[in-house]
Amino acid sequence: MKGIRLAKKIIKTLIKDCLHYPSRLIIDTFGVIARCGVLLILYWYIFKINNGVISGTTFVFAAWSIFFYFSFSVLRLRDISRLMMQDIQSGNVEVLFSKPISYLFYRIWWQIGSGLYSFVVITTLAVIALGFIIGFPETMTIGIFIPTLILTFVCASILSLLLYSVVGLLSFWIEDINPVFWIVDKAVMILGGSYLPVALFPAFMYKIALYSPFGAAQFVTHTVYESWQNNWYQLVGIQLFWIILFGLVVYFMFKKAKQKVSVNGG
Amino acid sequence: MKKELKFALYAIKKNIQSSAELRTSFLMNIVGMAINNIAFIIIWMFLIKSVGVIGGWTAMDIVGLQGFIALSYGTILSTANGLRKIADYTASGALDRFMLSPKNLLIRIATSSFGVSAIGDVVFGIVCMVIYSFAISASISQIFLVLLLLIISTITFLSMIILIYSTSFFFTDANTVTSGIFELFFTPALFHGGAFQGVMRFVFTFFIPSLLIGTLPVEIVRNISLDKLLLLIILTIFWFIFSIFIFNRAVRRYESSNFMTFGN
Repeated sequence: MKGIRLAKKIIKTLIKDCLHYPSRLIIDTFGVIARCGVLLILYWYIFKINNGVISGTTFVFAAWSIFFYFSFSVLRLRDISRLMMQDIQSGNVEVLFSKPISYLFYRIWWQIGSGLYSFVVITTLAVIALGFIIGFPETMTIGIFIPTLILTFVCASILSLLLYSVVGLLSFWIEDINPVFWIVDKAVMILGGSYLPVALFPAFMYKIALYSPFGAAQFVTHTVYESWQNNWYQLVGIQLFWIILFGLVVYFMFKKAKQKVSVNGG
Repeated sequence: MKKELKFALYAIKKNIQSSAELRTSFLMNIVGMAINNIAFIIIWMFLIKSVGVIGGWTAMDIVGLQGFIALSYGTILSTANGLRKIADYTASGALDRFMLSPKNLLIRIATSSFGVSAIGDVVFGIVCMVIYSFAISASISQIFLVLLLLIISTITFLSMIILIYSTSFFFTDANTVTSGIFELFFTPALFHGGAFQGVMRFVFTFFIPSLLIGTLPVEIVRNISLDKLLLLIILTIFWFIFSIFIFNRAVRRYESSNFMTFGN
């Protein structure tokens, strides 16, 4: 109950903050246009010169898959690593440890709250715009699409938060986690189907994307393809496996990290 | 001018020495960034494998593209990283100490910070350019052309950084605005150059000069196109003059907001 109250309070505060600073919504919109918008136009051209089909996929499927990646990235869940590093480097972690709340949950809810407003606004507008311009593939109109999309989205969010929390918690042991962050982030970017949709992956790369935590953190990009109807439970199962594994890693790392901190007050 | 350049070199040298003090972090940043940069090469290589040649662009052209971009990005954001902090300086009042300095304001701001990770971009860029030059069996004239184009693309990138971050003087929440505009300029530069055709090519050449720092230089080297080289030089001169003009105009909007910290 206390945890839910904390989550509600943090999210409510951050949404109010976003409403007061609309420029943040503008920057997120710029980001989606610069990355996703331009990329979709380029892919439209690439599909056009290949008679509309590449590796058995049409532009509509590829476009929605790419869009889901960029829409998910607006949530900025990956920023949890850097916030943790800042807390540790600045000593702010001492203050947060001395509060009667869980530091990890506080950071997780903070991360969710800070991107939620932009995510909801941009995704809603972009779905309408994209649906109007390129239409929806058949796979997105069948009954199981929405429930399974929500399920894999929730799993992907939890897995992303855990994955990047592991990177963030490394700050207790190493001076600068940025190099580790870049490598993890780029692995997620490549295997998540960002600039290259998963349908265009070579077979071995598709397997790596399927069974690695980096690909699993972006399974939302798989939902638009026909194969999703048959193997969604398998993909969600893989996500759950990684969630449990990374959950345990975060738990033990955090336990060890707490032992390293000495709160001296001031 | 000679004195200003001497000062800039001195400031850069001191910045490097200061950053290198944290040796492990310094080296990890460089190596990490170099590895990080491989991502786009992997992505576009796989795209070429699936789709084939697009707009005459082969896999090696992608290596050249990433080389040009990494070198111009790395050179500017290592040595002139202070430009990216204009938004912070204006918001905190820290710009006062630069304005009071007898040195050139732009050089003073630019050399106020050093981007360690950008050294990784420079290393990555050099490796890419060496591979690219070998792969296309570059002639002596092409090697000279590559060097000339590296200078041109670096100047274009510098101009855009000055222009984008000068907008900090016009907005209150400048950090978010400048990073949004930077994203709009820089992200398309990393994309597969052959896919930019028609209107897209026009827009990203003349209005948002993303293609000037990588795509056009690669095409000039490959085809030894003097028309494109001339166009690139003219556009670079235009953007450079325009960015300095905007910077000088923008600085006039600055009002000291010293927090009694005397510039610290």
